[in-house]
Amino acid sequence: MNNIKPKVLVVDDEKGLRIGVQRLLEMEGYEVDVAENGTDGIKLGTGNEYDLAIIDLKMPDIDGIDVLKSIKQKFPNTVCFIATAFASYDTAIEATKLGAQSYIPKPFTPEELLSELKSGYQKRLLSLEEAKWLREREERLLEVAFEKTRLNTIINSITDGVLVVNKEGLAVLFNPAVFRFLELSDVKVEEYILDKLRPEILELINKFLLSDSKEKRSYTIQLELKPNREFFIEATASPVFHPEDNLAGVVIVFKDITELKRIELIKSQFVSMVSHELKAPIAAVYGFLKLMSDDKIPLSDEQKKEYLNRSMIRLDGLLKMVNDLLDISRMELKTVKKEIRKICLTEIIKNILELFHFEVQKANIQVNFNYQTERFCIDADSDEISRLFTNLISNAIKYNRPSGSITIQINQIGKFVVTEIKDTGIGMKEEEKKKLFSEFFRAKNEFTKNVSGTGLGLSIVKRIVDSYSGKIEVESEFGVGTTFRIYLPN
Amino acid sequence: MNPKKKILLVDDDIDLLEQNKILIESMGYEVITANSSKEGWEVFKKSKPDACVIDLIMEEYDSGFVLCHRIKKDEHGNDIPVFILTSATYETGFKFGASTLEEQEWIAADEIINKPVVIDEFVQKLENYFEMKRS
Repeated sequence: MNNIKPKVLVVDDEKGLRIGVQRLLEMEGYEVDVAENGTDGIKLGTGNEYDLAIIDLKMPDIDGIDVLKSIKQKFPNTVCFIATAFASYDTAIEATKLGAQSYIPKPFTPEELLSELKSGYQKRLLSLEEAKWLREREERLLEVAFEKTRLNTIINSITDGVLVVNKEGLAVLFNPAVFRFLELSDVKVEEYILDKLRPEILELINKFLLSDSKEKRSYTIQLELKPNREFFIEATASPVFHPEDNLAGVVIVFKDITELKRIELIKSQFVSMVSHELKAPIAAVYGFLKLMSDDKIPLSDEQKKEYLNRSMIRLDGLLKMVNDLLDISRMELKTVKKEIRKICLTEIIKNILELFHFEVQKANIQVNFNYQTERFCIDADSDEISRLFTNLISNAIKYNRPSGSITIQINQIGKFVVTEIKDTGIGMKEEEKKKLFSEFFRAKNEFTKNVSGTGLGLSIVKRIVDSYSGKIEVESEFGVGTTFRIYLPN
Repeated sequence: MNPKKKILLVDDDIDLLEQNKILIESMGYEVITANSSKEGWEVFKKSKPDACVIDLIMEEYDSGFVLCHRIKKDEHGNDIPVFILTSATYETGFKFGASTLEEQEWIAADEIINKPVVIDEFVQKLENYFEMKRS
C-alpha cells in the first residue's frame, strides 16, 4: 500500500463482524468508517466518496441492494462488495448488475476479504485514472470544438469571400459571403468545385495547383462579374502549405471593389474634364498667336489688338481655373488649416460688395442690402467664407439681366445664420439645377454664352458649406431669377 | 472659276470659331459660322453649305455627334461631307463613343479630325470629297 490510505466503508448490522473487519482493515493500512444499518450506510456512503464499500445484504431497515444503488448513483467509481450469509445466485447477479464488484459469501476468512479488497482497490484506481482521461479528453474536445466554432464564426462574419480549396480541388473551407463572388447558390464541404468556377478564377487557383513551386507569393486578379460596373471583384489567391512545406491547397479571398471602381471612374472622368477645360483656352490663345504670326493671313492692327485682348481674357480665365482647381484639391486633401475666428457676415458681404462695385455699376444692377442691421457672427475661417460669398455674389452679377437687382438678407433661423442672395437673372431649368454643384457644369444656353466662368465656383461653394456642416438651398425659375440660401451654424 | 464653296463651322468656343473661319477663308472658301448645335442646325437648313465642320464637345460631350447624325439624315446633308473636330483624343482619356461600327454608322461623320486643325491637311481632305463628288 502506498501513503494514501484507501478509504473503506463497512455497512453491517452485525456488531462483531463490523468491529472485526474494521480492526483487520485498519491494521492492513485502510481507513475505515462503519455504519450499523442501511440508513447510516447511505448517509455515509453518499456523503463522502469511499474507495471501497462492503455492504451487508440483509439489514433490518434498508436492504443492502438499496444502499448499493444509492452509493453507485452518487459515486459510480466506488467499488462495492455485497456480503451476506444468504448466498443466492439471483441476488449475486442482481448485485453485480447494479454495479457491485463482487459478492462475498459469509463467513469469509481475512485472507479472502483482503484479496477481494486488494483487487477491488486496483480496479478503483484504474477507473479513477480512466475517468481522469475521459475528463481530459472531453475538455480537449470541447476546446477543439470551441476553436473550430470560433474560427467558423470569424470566417462567417467576414464580408469578404473566403474559399479554401485543397490539392484535389475540393472546397474544404468557405464562408457564406463567398457564394456571391463565385456566383453559386450553394457549395458543399468537400465538394469538387473547380469545374464550377469562372475560367479566370480557375486559372488563378491553377497557378498553384498545377505547379510544384514552393514560392509563398499571392496572385490577384480583378473581374467584372456584372457588366456596366455593377459588380466588380478582386480575388487574391495564396498557397497554403503543410508544415513539411508541400502544398496543402489554395486560399482565395474575394473582395467587392465595385465602389472603388466607381470612384476610379469618377476620378478619371474628372481628369478628362479638367484636361479638356484646360486645353480649350490654351488652344484659343495658341490659335490667335499662330494667326497673328502667319504672314499669309492679312490682319489689321485693330484685329491684332483685339486678338491679343481676347488671348489675355482666355489666359485670365485659365489662371482662375487653375486657382479654383488648386483650391478644390487643397479642400479634398484637407491641407487647408481653417483659422477659426469670430467673423461677422454683415461685414464680409459689405466688403465683397465693395470689391464688385465696378461690375455692379457697369451692369447697372441695383443691390439691396441693409448694412445697419445685426452683425450675424459665426465661428469660421474668414478667407473661406469670403470665398463662398464672393462666388455667389459674382454669379448673381454675371448671370443677372441688365438693370436687374440683387437682394441680400441675413437672418437667424434656429441654430443657423441664413444668408439669402436673390437675383433677377436668367434662372435655371430644372435639369440644370440638378447638375449645379458638379465640377465644370455651366448652364449653356443663349444667355450664358458670353459669360465667362470656370465651372468650379459653385462646386467650391458647396465644399465650403459642407465643411461647416451647413446647407444650401436653391430656388430658381428659368428666365426669372435664382435665390441661394446658405445656412451656416453659429 | 467655280463659285466659292460654302463651309459651315459649328463651335461653341467663339475664339476657335473665328480663328478657323479666318484660316479656312484664307484658303479660298466662304465660311459661315454657328455658336451652338441648335444654331448650327438652323444655319445648315437655311444656308445649305457644301460642307460642315462641327466641334464635338459643345453643350454636351456628344453634341457634335448628335448634330452630325441629324445633318446626315437630311436630304441635302447626306450629300455633303461632314467633319467632326475634337480634342477628345485618347490622350485625354475620353472615349468618344464612336468605337463600334454601329456607333460610327449612327454618327455617319465622314472624318473625325483632331484639334488643333492643321489647315493644309484639312483642306486636302475637304477637296478629296469635293473631287469624289464631281467624278
